[in-house]
Amino acid sequence: MKKLSLFLLPLLLFLLVSVFLLQGLFSDPTERKSSLLNRGVPDFSLPDVMNDSIVYGPEVFDNQITLLNVWGTWCVTCAYELPFLTQLREQGVRIVGLYYEQDLDPDFGAKSLRQIRLDIDKKLGQLGNPYAFNIFDQQRSLSLDLGVTGAPETFLIGPQGKVLLHHIGDVNERVWQQKFESVYQRLSGQALNQQESVR
Amino acid sequence: MRCFLALLLMISFALNAADEIYDFDDPGQRALFLTLSESLRCPKCQNQSIAGSNALVAQDMKRKVYQLLQQGYTEQEIIDYMKQRYGDFVYYQPPLNPLTLLLWMGPALFVLLVLGILIRRRNKPAVQADSAMLAKAEKWLEEDK
Repeated sequence: MKKLSLFLLPLLLFLLVSVFLLQGLFSDPTERKSSLLNRGVPDFSLPDVMNDSIVYGPEVFDNQITLLNVWGTWCVTCAYELPFLTQLREQGVRIVGLYYEQDLDPDFGAKSLRQIRLDIDKKLGQLGNPYAFNIFDQQRSLSLDLGVTGAPETFLIGPQGKVLLHHIGDVNERVWQQKFESVYQRLSGQALNQQESVR
Repeated sequence: MRCFLALLLMISFALNAADEIYDFDDPGQRALFLTLSESLRCPKCQNQSIAGSNALVAQDMKRKVYQLLQQGYTEQEIIDYMKQRYGDFVYYQPPLNPLTLLLWMGPALFVLLVLGILIRRRNKPAVQADSAMLAKAEKWLEEDK
């Protein structure tokens, strides 16, 4: 009896540790739940990146399902997702860009606004333009309020202006199918039903 | 030697430069800023505090901590401010909730387990040697001679 337990106990411990470590192999260290989920988009008042006179607030997310995509021309991975996002736009998904500039350090300030606009035009001309418009997060204040850790990141925002998904990293076909599509379909189904009931 | 001195001078300048970005009138506030930036975790990097990281988001967070301190936020208010945006992950001390219960209770459970084993061992009566067993042992000893 004692011998058996002496044999079984280490084996059991070994199995436990193995299972624990095996799990670690498949877990994504950057994956974490956004603390903003199911809460409203924080208040902001920021200009359009192409035109200072247009100022956006949280009301731009009202009554529409929106993908809010955090990006910059300096960001390499963002360039990879632009063609796929453009495809999504062609399928009718509304995508709003949250643009921020890495070089535009509030302490120093390096790149001119003119240069930024030229770079954006060039990049979107080359790879496709998925954006309905781009909000310019000059001081990265909205990014901070949204818990953005870098670029690219994408939020799915519901018609009530609630954050429903927060994805860190690029959105490609696999991510879209696994993470976004079902929620997006469910939401647009609900929106359709509401429209019909109003009629 | 001169080269070495120049190098030393450059290093000390560099250290100063990193220090100079944030000016505090109150040394207490400065100390608080340093503790906070050591105890807040950079969300972009794997296990670096925002003090130790040069990631853009860490710089932005340091700047925000500085601004909030200037606005008179307390330490706890700043931690809550960051947690609200980046989750519990951002603070090095995990909160006590069902998910982290094992983490917090683990050491205590372990000590209890060891204590339990020790007490059971002590209470166990010493090995009982009855006369039949003793006689058998005697016999083996005899045979070995």
